[in-house]
Amino acid sequence: MAKNRRHFGIATVLIVICTFVVYWVLDSVLLKPAAAVLEAGPIDYLFDLHIWLIAFLFALVAVFMCYALIVFRSRGDEGDGEHIHGNGTLEIIWTVVPCFVVVYFAWISTTMLIDLSRPNPDEYVVNAEGRQWSWLFTYPESGAVTADLVLPVNTPIRMDLTSDDVLHNFWVPEFRVKQDSVPGMVTHVRFTPTVIGEYVLRCAELCGTNHSGMLATVRVVSEEDFQLWQSEQLAQAQE
Amino acid sequence: MSLFTLGIARGLLGQVLGMVIGMLLTCAVRILLGWEAWAAEPAWTVGAVCSIIGFLLGVGSLDDWLKWTRGIPTPLHHGPPVDKPAWTRYFSVDYNHKVIGVQYTVWGILLLMVGGTVAMIFRTELARSGLQFLGLDLYNSFIGMHGMIMIFAILLGVGGMANYLVPLMIGADDMAFPRLNALGFWFNVPGSILLLLSLFIGGWDAGWTAYPPLSARGPIGYQLFFLGVFAIGLSSIVGSLNLLVTLLRMRPEGMSLFRMPIFCWAVFATSLIQLTATQLIGTSFLMVSVQRAIGMGFFDPRGILGEVSPMVGGGDPVLFQHLFWFYSHPAVYIFVLPGLGIVSELLPVFSRKPLFGYKWIALSSMAIAIVGFLVWGHHMFVSGYNDILRIPFMYATLLVAIPTGVKFFSWLGTIWGGKVHFDTPMLFVLGAISVFLIGGLTGPILATVPTDFPLHDSYFVVGHFHATMFGGFVFPFFAALYYWFPKVTGRMYNETLGKIHFFIMTPAFWVQTLGQMGVGVMGMRRRIADYDPTLGAGQIENWQMAVTIAGFAIAFGVMLMLWNFFQSAEVGAAAGDNPWRSRSPEWQIPSPVPEHSFPAPLHVVGEPYDYGLADAGYVTTASTGDD
Repeated sequence: MAKNRRHFGIATVLIVICTFVVYWVLDSVLLKPAAAVLEAGPIDYLFDLHIWLIAFLFALVAVFMCYALIVFRSRGDEGDGEHIHGNGTLEIIWTVVPCFVVVYFAWISTTMLIDLSRPNPDEYVVNAEGRQWSWLFTYPESGAVTADLVLPVNTPIRMDLTSDDVLHNFWVPEFRVKQDSVPGMVTHVRFTPTVIGEYVLRCAELCGTNHSGMLATVRVVSEEDFQLWQSEQLAQAQE
Repeated sequence: MSLFTLGIARGLLGQVLGMVIGMLLTCAVRILLGWEAWAAEPAWTVGAVCSIIGFLLGVGSLDDWLKWTRGIPTPLHHGPPVDKPAWTRYFSVDYNHKVIGVQYTVWGILLLMVGGTVAMIFRTELARSGLQFLGLDLYNSFIGMHGMIMIFAILLGVGGMANYLVPLMIGADDMAFPRLNALGFWFNVPGSILLLLSLFIGGWDAGWTAYPPLSARGPIGYQLFFLGVFAIGLSSIVGSLNLLVTLLRMRPEGMSLFRMPIFCWAVFATSLIQLTATQLIGTSFLMVSVQRAIGMGFFDPRGILGEVSPMVGGGDPVLFQHLFWFYSHPAVYIFVLPGLGIVSELLPVFSRKPLFGYKWIALSSMAIAIVGFLVWGHHMFVSGYNDILRIPFMYATLLVAIPTGVKFFSWLGTIWGGKVHFDTPMLFVLGAISVFLIGGLTGPILATVPTDFPLHDSYFVVGHFHATMFGGFVFPFFAALYYWFPKVTGRMYNETLGKIHFFIMTPAFWVQTLGQMGVGVMGMRRRIADYDPTLGAGQIENWQMAVTIAGFAIAFGVMLMLWNFFQSAEVGAAAGDNPWRSRSPEWQIPSPVPEHSFPAPLHVVGEPYDYGLADAGYVTTASTGDD
């Protein structure tokens, strides 16, 4: 027992060190796209929390396993190990404790999800229709119809998605959120762009031959530029 | 000896004839209806159905039942065929579970090689951005083909291990229904031939998931793919039924459920899923097949098929996903539970210590099987189904982590305090734990909906999934091949080559899976023929190259293993009856196992994993006892 206590002491220290090392490695090699919407804040926070959990659990199992393999390796003798069939207390602990962790993660995800999908009375609506292999955007407020998406910065946006043929998916990696567009129904995705710039909308649901090339440009512009662009579109439409 | 003394040759001939007859039948009906005689899609569809029946008739898997209908008795024949060389039994209908187990395993390994080759082709394409040598349509066919061939291969590998090992482990003479067992195997052959054939009549471009409306529009290859899956599904259903009955009814005196070797629990849980969920993938694919063939628009929302039938519309593409994932998520547990069972089975042998928390491990398999039925909706978080559904599916999915955690911690408890031996099977078990750990830990981040948004349908999912499949099936399967190779052949494999295989494959797989996850986080979508080289600050091509090189290293390792087995089956040293000093019943009988495995009925007198306890027996044969 005293021997086991020493083993556990060493393993605990190693686990703590290993957790930080794994977190640091994952944090530096995982190259997330830059965040360009308000919603990226909570999503990236939860992502980071998961990376901590992964780092800790990886350390926990990997350290115990490697430690046991070194310390309890057979040294050429034909003898057997200790005759232990299990430990009920331990089994209950490692069943119950994870339950709490799981429910905690599910709970914060639930509240976050409700926040992310809550309708905003001021949201600006754009319709998007996916088709093999391009997008068609219509702006109900102005009636403009475009192949590339132009959005005003710092305005809550609701995309109303549908499809002309097969399933497609609306995904801008910098916007984090993602939603299928389905023929015969309208689906929604909400986000608030916060960074002016040019992004690429990538169809993320396999949609046939040119799925990989089903891209569209997304321009997030200032409020004034957006008004200007909208009136240009209207003028063009009237010609 | 003519070629057609081999059942498989007759079967293939039967399949070709069945195909031709089915096509002629279709033409005849169309002519009678006054339509143009030839229409490719219905002709291939009916032809494919008839070809499966043709194969089964040709190979002779239905012979006995057909004789029964005429009142002819068919005593069960044991041993090699009387008037042919002994090896021919592996290519014909044979009712011995050990032969059938080998048939499953070899056919599974063949498909594993085909599926791996397909993967290597498109991995080479992905090593650099831009399209090098594959066309877009061929690429899209290949990814689906890789996925489905591998699923077939895994189901066959699972069937091979279960059929060979379960009767031996419970001391049964054979499976409960030997004829059904053979039929279960032979369904797989025409099924996989149809799947491979589909590539040559246009392929299918919607991935192995085959979501409509895309799958309702593409080339004719879809029909052969659907029917191939249907045949494999029938194999799963009859095979699992047989295993359940065998496990419940054929255990020897004294073997209570909690005294079975732990692998039997894993097979039990897997078989429950197979018996009850497989119907759903069959149904969903059949519905798409019918929608394509005769325009019944189950999944057609607004008359896309207008030209075929003016009345369609009102179908729901999302419904397909519910039906499909109700099987296809539990299917993942069909693939991994037997593998995790192998890990639990081998760890005590090579740690020389009892399995830690036997009942907990046994029941965790059942818990995974049951919770597995409640989580299919996590594949549909962004599908457009009712938003509220995301929440219960998120909770249920996260719950899977708990029984999975119990397994990991119990494995650690098994190693702790043991005397660990590092033979090749044990190395692959440890590799399995490390890889399944990566796969398991990357699950919760996909289960919580907000973090699933950026990762869903990205390459991260590809990495996660491959880690669960390699950790849950491939590594344990290889461990099982090395471990039971001496029992099956009577000879020992080459240990050095086995270790080289392990030390090439394991680090290579870590690089592969972490690389796949990495490019997914950068923003690369899954299932794309070409990717944006600017992703990940321009780093993505380096990562892709690393993944491709790692993939080739894995392929090299697998070939090394197969060469090792071929070579050792001929020249390997005699292995002896029990080279691993295991307590399990199959190691108490000669290697290779005789035609009738056990000379007398078994009696269970102790616990299966009492390593470290002197003179504690597990099984004895009755002859030493009361008579």
